[in-house]
Amino acid sequence: MLRIWRQNQSWLTPLVLLFLPLALFLMMIVWPIIQSIVISFYEWDGTGPATFIGLDNYRELFADPQFFTSLKNNIIWIALFLLAPVFGLGLALFLNQPLGEMRIVKSVFFIPLVLANVIIGVVFTWFYDPTFGILAIVMRFFGFEPFAILSDEHFVTFGIVFAALWAQTAFCLVLFLAGLSQLDGELIAAGRIDGASGWTLLRHIVLPQLRAVSFVATIITVIGSLRNFDLIAVMTQGGPYGSSTVLAYQMYDATIFSYRAGYGAAIATVLFLIMSIYIAFFLRHTLRREQRGA
Amino acid sequence: MEAQCRACLGWRTQDRETLFMASVTIRDVHKKFGEAHILRGVSVDIADGEFVILVGPSGCGKSTLLRTIAGLERTTAGEIRIGERVVNDVSPKDRDIAMVFQSYALYPHMSIYENMAFALSLRGEPKEEVRQRVERAAQILGLMPLLERYPRQLSGGQRQRVAMGRAIVRDPQVFLFDEPLSNLDAKLRVAMRAEIKELQQRLQTTTVYVTHDQIEAMTMADKIVVMRDGVIEQIGAPLDLYDRPDNQFVAGFIGSPSMNFLEGRFENGAFRAGEGVVLPAGKQWKATPEGDAVYGVRPEHFRIDEAGIEVTAVVVEPTGSETEVLVRVGGAEFNCLFRSRVPVRAGERIRVLPDADQVHLFDRTTGRRVS
Repeated sequence: MLRIWRQNQSWLTPLVLLFLPLALFLMMIVWPIIQSIVISFYEWDGTGPATFIGLDNYRELFADPQFFTSLKNNIIWIALFLLAPVFGLGLALFLNQPLGEMRIVKSVFFIPLVLANVIIGVVFTWFYDPTFGILAIVMRFFGFEPFAILSDEHFVTFGIVFAALWAQTAFCLVLFLAGLSQLDGELIAAGRIDGASGWTLLRHIVLPQLRAVSFVATIITVIGSLRNFDLIAVMTQGGPYGSSTVLAYQMYDATIFSYRAGYGAAIATVLFLIMSIYIAFFLRHTLRREQRGA
Repeated sequence: MEAQCRACLGWRTQDRETLFMASVTIRDVHKKFGEAHILRGVSVDIADGEFVILVGPSGCGKSTLLRTIAGLERTTAGEIRIGERVVNDVSPKDRDIAMVFQSYALYPHMSIYENMAFALSLRGEPKEEVRQRVERAAQILGLMPLLERYPRQLSGGQRQRVAMGRAIVRDPQVFLFDEPLSNLDAKLRVAMRAEIKELQQRLQTTTVYVTHDQIEAMTMADKIVVMRDGVIEQIGAPLDLYDRPDNQFVAGFIGSPSMNFLEGRFENGAFRAGEGVVLPAGKQWKATPEGDAVYGVRPEHFRIDEAGIEVTAVVVEPTGSETEVLVRVGGAEFNCLFRSRVPVRAGERIRVLPDADQVHLFDRTTGRRVS
């Protein structure tokens, strides 16, 4: 027994070490995904017996105007959420100055990171409140009539995205600050001697060194925008009239409140496909870039 | 090679007529980082076309001095001139200098061609002109086959060469080198040493070169600046520093193996270093005052001689071409280096005599040369 172990140790050891994480990954991630996809072919209230209905859930989904509202909102979310890495980078460049006072400023910018999304949602709901919210007070000061942003179907999504952006920017800021602290000082010096300064230095020398960080920040931001539903749940519950719903919230709503687990699973599957396509595209893009150089 | 060389010189002389002489003048420069006083009043004159090496132990301020010449650090006080122009407030890109870094600092995301072309492209030079100049520099350095590669695909020596190529395509008034060879293995270092020296002689560009390696300094420099603790200990031609060091620090720093120092007293025309150890005075010491002092003699200036002092060999290290022997006498130990094979074994007693033309006497407290 011991001899067999010794002879095959080189491939048995990784196998043993991999077993637990692999088992957990299969059980907690892969299996629920498969289960969701299977459920999406059934009509099921979540507790009772399930009936196989083939693609009916999907047919219904693609005819549901609510689905397209959610999809449109998801696109707005992604587009606006991608400002988070941009703002984060800008702030990081500003905060990355060798001043002692900057430490205090930095910690102020970190605050959103330690707050739960639910709390951010509550705070922003107050912030937007047309009777006592700060926004209303400011608007009145400048002579505008305050209106209820979260009750306006045209502005509600932007209102929620802004709250989410506030937290996401702080997250990207931390990533970029870490990236900036890893910059090679001699490369910057070489760039300066070669004649780069300000924008050219940033574009040709600094940003290429931040490529890995930017990649992570973008991926996490896009995924964050697709799976965000807690802010919506706290701030509007998808309202008014479902105008602030996104796919993730619609899925939650269909499954938990309408007892339609099959329909919810169909939405989840569509969301899963969107994410997979996006991630596959992004991965391929960066892998090719990495092969080319750098 | 000849033709390339001429072509390369041609492009220089043409530019040169329109520029001033690229001397570098450093006047009483101070640099403080907070409380730390890194440069304490440094003055150096570097003539046009001269190869000057700043050398000293780590932390002596040599790299900081180089970075102030480059404009990467601002001086706290003092003046730096390149040619006739005071450059204290001129940004690095407008100083018309090029720098080679210890890590080479090649842009990892750019090909070798792009690395070398970067500065020219930023200046807005026409593409064709950029291509010609990069290729000319690449030819001189043998980089033509590597132009499409990326820095990470190159060996240390090749990267070093690219860093030099990036500097020479710009045809700057001054080259700055910051310990460019310290990341190379010993063999490559010797080869690159010769290559850099040859290149500098060919281009005749004023060069300031920082190293902690005194052998590099001795073999390459027209002029060496020895620094310690932010001050200049001595400036001079390599062999002048070797033959007539101003103080005990320079004497010990220049030369390998380093100079032996023996404490004792100079009186009655001889030097006494403890019980019965009497060393001959230097030939020119007639006017040297008597008193406590430090006697300095290089290992290579001992010879085996019946008239010498009797010592015990402690360690014998034959290298083939020469023999290094650590000897002990009284309480003192010192190194002797003989340029031949000597039949000495550890524990044996021999008689050695220092060459009276080549001995030095230093003040015991200040370390200054008194002979």
